Amino acid sequence: MKLQGARLILVLLLIISGFEALSQDCKLVIRGKVIHLENNQNIPGAYIWIEEVKAGAVTDDSGNFIFRNLCPGDYTIKIQFLGHKDIIEEVTLSNSSFNKTFRMEELPTELGGVEVHGHRDAIQTTTAVNALYGSELLEARGENLGESLKRIAGVTTFSTGNTIAKPVIHGLHSNRIMILNNGIRLEGQQWGAEHAPEIDPFLAEEITVIKGAETVRFGPEAMGGVIMVNPGELPTEKKDKTDLYLVGGSNGRMGNLSLSHTGGSEKVKGLGYRVQGSVKRAGNVRSPEYFQGNTGMSEINFSGATGYSNSKLGAELYYSYFNTELGILRDAHTGNLSDLEEIIANGRPFTNPDFTYEINNPKQVVQHHLTKLKTHYHLNSKWKANLQYGFQLNQRQEYDRRRGDLNERASLDLELFTNTLDLFVDHTHENALSGTWGINIIQQANSNVPGTGVTPLIPNYDMLNAGLYLIEKYSKGPLELEGGLRYDYRTISTARFIGSELEEADLQYNNFTAFFGTYYQINPNLAFRSNLGSAWRPPNVNELFSQGLHHGAAAVEIGDADLDSEKSLKWVNSLEFEGKKSTGELTVYANQIRDYIYLNPTGETFVSLRGTFNVYEYLQANAFFWGVDFSGSYELTESLQAYAKGSIIRARNTETDEFFPFIPSDRMDWGLSYQLDRGSKTHHFNLSNMLVARQKREPVFDLAPAPPGYALFNVGYRYELPFQGNRLNLGLQVQNIFNTEFKEYMNRFRYFTADMGRNLLIKINYQF
Amino acid sequence: MKNLQKLPLYFLFVGLFAFASCDSEDPVIENEGEVITDVTLAFTELDGAGNPVGLTFTFTAADPEGIEVGGAPTIETVELEAGKTYQLDIEVFNSIENEDITEEIIEEADEHQFYFIGSAFVGGAAPLSYVYDDESGELIGVRGIVTVDATPSFNNAQMRVVLRHDLDKNFPGADNPNFENFVQAGGESDLDIIYPLILN
Repeated sequence: MKLQGARLILVLLLIISGFEALSQDCKLVIRGKVIHLENNQNIPGAYIWIEEVKAGAVTDDSGNFIFRNLCPGDYTIKIQFLGHKDIIEEVTLSNSSFNKTFRMEELPTELGGVEVHGHRDAIQTTTAVNALYGSELLEARGENLGESLKRIAGVTTFSTGNTIAKPVIHGLHSNRIMILNNGIRLEGQQWGAEHAPEIDPFLAEEITVIKGAETVRFGPEAMGGVIMVNPGELPTEKKDKTDLYLVGGSNGRMGNLSLSHTGGSEKVKGLGYRVQGSVKRAGNVRSPEYFQGNTGMSEINFSGATGYSNSKLGAELYYSYFNTELGILRDAHTGNLSDLEEIIANGRPFTNPDFTYEINNPKQVVQHHLTKLKTHYHLNSKWKANLQYGFQLNQRQEYDRRRGDLNERASLDLELFTNTLDLFVDHTHENALSGTWGINIIQQANSNVPGTGVTPLIPNYDMLNAGLYLIEKYSKGPLELEGGLRYDYRTISTARFIGSELEEADLQYNNFTAFFGTYYQINPNLAFRSNLGSAWRPPNVNELFSQGLHHGAAAVEIGDADLDSEKSLKWVNSLEFEGKKSTGELTVYANQIRDYIYLNPTGETFVSLRGTFNVYEYLQANAFFWGVDFSGSYELTESLQAYAKGSIIRARNTETDEFFPFIPSDRMDWGLSYQLDRGSKTHHFNLSNMLVARQKREPVFDLAPAPPGYALFNVGYRYELPFQGNRLNLGLQVQNIFNTEFKEYMNRFRYFTADMGRNLLIKINYQF
Repeated sequence: MKNLQKLPLYFLFVGLFAFASCDSEDPVIENEGEVITDVTLAFTELDGAGNPVGLTFTFTAADPEGIEVGGAPTIETVELEAGKTYQLDIEVFNSIENEDITEEIIEEADEHQFYFIGSAFVGGAAPLSYVYDDESGELIGVRGIVTVDATPSFNNAQMRVVLRHDLDKNFPGADNPNFENFVQAGGESDLDIIYPLILN
């Protein structure tokens, strides 16, 4: 409503000034953007008054305002926003228009009735950013992180069955993208294709995807993009809120419960806390024709946070625990190449299991602990010092079908400790510059827990990465220019016994990265972003040192200790349009990667008593990725809206002129949504159609050809109503209404089984 | 100057970081408990009454490194005489750990089964026929009876011995030792060895 008011004022203003323009022939413009001095967040709803023309305006959602048709002369701009110091600026317009970014300083909190806003920083980036929050996130509840993120154009998943999904941004995944859990880079065993991100999507109030190369800001490996899973801000005053989510799904007979509570202290102003937990249980997934054996899962997650902030100091302590047990489709675990070929030829599992919640081997058991301590201190109104420390422990156990007592023992048992330390200063000035300078240290220790009875796939290692970076941003009204530089040094030392021989290695990598970006608000409806960034990724230990049989995959994988770092240069451009009835976003990108590391089938086979295996080796080649993401919506009537979104990715090995495996095919999702307001109650209806093309650009070698394209239909209904003074959301969704049998190219288990069939979901959300 | 008061706090955090940083464990030699390095076929001739006659002779397939990149297994050629009946005992061994895996297979009889296929066993003119004869009565194939045709139509053939693990033993056809479509019963192959066969 506020926005509409703002628009109305703007429109009125334009009309009034339009009349003036007619009489005086004045065409000058005053444009500006109003943001918080402290954290660069936009301030919507700030009031701007120009005394000389007796005209006012209110900033829009992005903090922008504009006065058109002004004559040359002196003007006094006065900006007001609750709880902030007024800004009064004298401007002389001669023959050019005026642009400026205004940073509003918060008033001391001692003044009664002033809101202390939290200390979550806005992402200062000129790259394409998309976020999942509010009703869209509400509809994604109950899905894993990867599945939820598919709602953003350009984001797909690389999955292993229907429970393990890794997000893919612009064709890159695993160690080429970064996931931040409340600001800490998530360090699990992300190198594995079947290793899902160790994070509970329920802890997020907002999930943001940055589609550019963000190595400078976040460190090595953020080559394809960054996913930020952010909990809500902690309250700074007595304000209790409880959120209950109940999700039930017919497919897999899934049940999911999440409860979170935030509160603030009455006695200590600025002290707040949040506790959150979720449990999830699901049994065998059903494809249209059959159950997929041993595909159940269970998850228990918990997180808690407490924070304190006053006008000078902010501190937050955060802990999250993730625990999952995942069954792996029994039929996907093959003994040798002929087993593998037989099941691929069969196109579906040989077994016809019944439904069960029981999880047997092969399975994964993963635990992830993450602790974060963050403090900041305002040295003065312009300088802020920050310290962020994160400690993570990741434990991963993978069980195979084995003989005798060994069946009870994990055949891969890894323990990974990670310490991350960030020290940085932010500076923001009333004038045009702001920036961040910092040091970032990552220390990691990975150990194989003895007793698996298998030579470890990856060695034990210690890693230390130190980085130094600097980012500066220049803002002038609708124009923002941003640039950054970073230097990283990484050292890894590894040790492993192969048989009884100790193999050790010490490796060093270092690299400079830089980026330059710009954001320009062309007019109140249209904005343009462009970002050119370099990024790098040192080879992972599995790429360096894999040696031997990848159990279950019937593949022998051979690493190469001489691999170089991958280096990329990504250019992302996006155009965002927001009109009265329509919105649209178009993102076009190109990503040139030198020494891209990939697993290449050698074409050779390896013969053993167990049978024959394909041999794969890690190679490097130059790669070129480019693509387009689009999304848009149009209001057909006040309550009926049509939308469409989609993505296209092209990836080539430019040395051999071949295609890489597992690059998402062209896809789009389009639909209609209808909203019926009945006083305080609202009905939302949604019908969507997902179209996925066949991946015609296949690599030379694949175990099976790419599956045909498919079309899925989904419907959703949500009823939003007040209930005893609180908000209640009742939702019903049917995914894959027609129970269409399909195989997704990006699912590694497409070789063995069709994807999930129809799924009916009931979602209840109650906020009190 | 006020910010200097916070300095000790920051030092504390840096100290904490240093304290919490830890090293990886020293690597440990892992016992390859599951590897099969030797598979021995032990043949003992049986007389008309089913009693053993003469000495037991063995043919071994060996891969001393187990499943490792590099070394290929050495497989001995099985030599049998036409018209005779043999008891076939299969011994599965892990020479790295000096462990008899045959026992484990017998202990998990419900999850394991040998299949005997290849030109020696499958097809109308196949020279060998196999019957399960395990001591427990369960169909495993650790012990069986092999009968060689009195007038084999060829003297050279391939004996493919497959050990299936985690299969559905009740699958239709799974009780046939020469079941070529064993994959349909589910599970995975623990062994898949082709022994050359010469009939004298």
